[in-house]
Amino acid sequence: MISARRVIKSYRGAENGELRVLDGLDLHVERGEFVAVIGPSGSGKSTLLHILGGLDVHYDGEVELAGTRLRSLSDRELARFRNRQVGFVFQSFHLVPNLRVFENVLLPAFFGGESIRKADRSRAEGMLERVGLLSKKERVPSQLSGGERQRVAIARALLQHPQVLLCDEPTGNLDLQTGDEIIALFRQLQGEGLTVLAVTHEERISEAAERVLQLRTGVLLDDGDSREPGR
Amino acid sequence: MIVGSLLQLIGINLRREARSAVFSSLGVALGVGSLVFFVSLGLGVGKVIREKVFPVDQILIEVAPAAISLGSFGTSLNQGTIDRLSALPEVSAVFRKMSVRVPAISRYDGDFFGSPLRVRLEVLALGVDPGLLRDDIRLGNFADPGPGLPIPGVISSRILEAYNKSFAPTRNLPQLSGALVVGFSFPVEFNSSMVAPSVRGSPIPSQVQVVGVSDRALLAGITIPLSTAIRLNQGAGVDSQTFTGATLVAKSAELVPTIAAQARRMGLKIDDQERRMAENVGFAVTLTTSALALLSILICALAAANIAQTLFASVRARAKEIGIMQSVGASRSDVRNIILGEAAAIGMVGGALGTIGALVAEHAVDRLSLSYLPSFPFKPESFFSHPWTILLGGVSLGILAAVLGAYAPSRRAAATDPAQTLSE
Repeated sequence: MISARRVIKSYRGAENGELRVLDGLDLHVERGEFVAVIGPSGSGKSTLLHILGGLDVHYDGEVELAGTRLRSLSDRELARFRNRQVGFVFQSFHLVPNLRVFENVLLPAFFGGESIRKADRSRAEGMLERVGLLSKKERVPSQLSGGERQRVAIARALLQHPQVLLCDEPTGNLDLQTGDEIIALFRQLQGEGLTVLAVTHEERISEAAERVLQLRTGVLLDDGDSREPGR
Repeated sequence: MIVGSLLQLIGINLRREARSAVFSSLGVALGVGSLVFFVSLGLGVGKVIREKVFPVDQILIEVAPAAISLGSFGTSLNQGTIDRLSALPEVSAVFRKMSVRVPAISRYDGDFFGSPLRVRLEVLALGVDPGLLRDDIRLGNFADPGPGLPIPGVISSRILEAYNKSFAPTRNLPQLSGALVVGFSFPVEFNSSMVAPSVRGSPIPSQVQVVGVSDRALLAGITIPLSTAIRLNQGAGVDSQTFTGATLVAKSAELVPTIAAQARRMGLKIDDQERRMAENVGFAVTLTTSALALLSILICALAAANIAQTLFASVRARAKEIGIMQSVGASRSDVRNIILGEAAAIGMVGGALGTIGALVAEHAVDRLSLSYLPSFPFKPESFFSHPWTILLGGVSLGILAAVLGAYAPSRRAAATDPAQTLSE
């Protein structure tokens, strides 16, 4: 499902020095896997996620997701890829503050290449119902708790039925109980066949994942054999 | 992103940014409104000048004998010259004109449309070929009736306007329409004067009956049939062979300069005083309108600059939102189109508001003019003229100004790096 080969990503550092955060990284994730990538802050976890999701195109190496080689895509094709193949969940939720909850969830449908139909609205309502927030669809994000905002973000990420859910510290801003609820939701989605890749430094996510990879010095190290999630 | 979705998203964005959108659109409305107002005013005033004050027919050329200068004599305008003018291939008709070359006065003392009137004035009379006034004759035949019978006369529509707006109100005399004045008779005594030192022969008392009102009639006098003028001149023993002038009808307006050049070569002069006056006044109006329109366009440019500044700030403030849209599938062109679309909507609303505001202001000015401005000659019912192109142009200008203002911000927005923005 996800394949990255010899991915190199550098940033221009202080005094024109080059900071290489990904240094020939290789990654392979099967369909329906729940993989956690752990590593300290600044190790390049978010950068890896952005590259896999087609948000960052300035890298060397090859990335293939759901059979699509990202390097060969134009800007428009890459946008369509992000719309159809992947869903993002961010630590800071990244909801549009002035849009209502329902409009935030519906947002990907505006870029789907077709006009917004009743079916899209029904689907958005269905997603909100699934995350338990249909009754709050008319609210704006500031009227929701952190956990509720993250569930809205997940509903938005799932709207276009993506193949892969890419999560960047998804429980970083949540309390313990709410974080557990979100993790449970991820496991539920994985159970339905969705591939979940989460970058985190939280143990509870790595405990819930099937496989844990450590990002160190720009490469991924397998933390051990695959295991039953929730070990 | 298809147009329908784009419009829906623009609608949602504008609703939540309503206050700033309204503020930006007001700038556009001010520019477009003033432009529509001033252009409509220029067109309206120009129309009055063209159609009422100096109603110059574009295919008519007035020729007259050249003035005497430095001992050389210009060509006299006799029948031979008229025939040569008629023979020009560019000319479709020639109408001769001859002044009555003896003085005349009118002594009116009696009922004047319900009001007593006593007046004595010198009268100028000009005889013209009937064809020139054919379309304006409303009573009987415009031909010489012979001695002793009322002479058919045509008066100028402009002098009637001056009478109605200036003369009549100050003297409590009735307002007269063109239809009302037709049939009115008044005495004219030819070969008689209150100011000429000596007049040969005895006075010829006559009656002149108004048979029409025309833009082509003599401005300050009466226009009578040419044959009548010839008869009166013959009777008084003055020149009845040469003409005072002639009106040439060109086959098309483009041929007027060619005909004028040929007439000049014949030694005639072109009497284009009215045309020049019309052109000069028209030019002055156009110049004033252009200056005001330029000022309005400057206001639109300022509005565009304001929109640019507002959108630059908005793009900076919405960087994260743009990153979010990119993460859920917005391409660079989608982002650019959203910003441009929002600006176009602001421009359209501003343009429409400005145009409507201009129409309301025009209506108010016309109402105020009707109520408070004193009556004056050629005072129009409306000072404004706004063909649909002006109204459409106003809205289009609003959109154009806003989109131009949004161009640079939209490019900046499209260049947003989602990975960087969403990491901050």
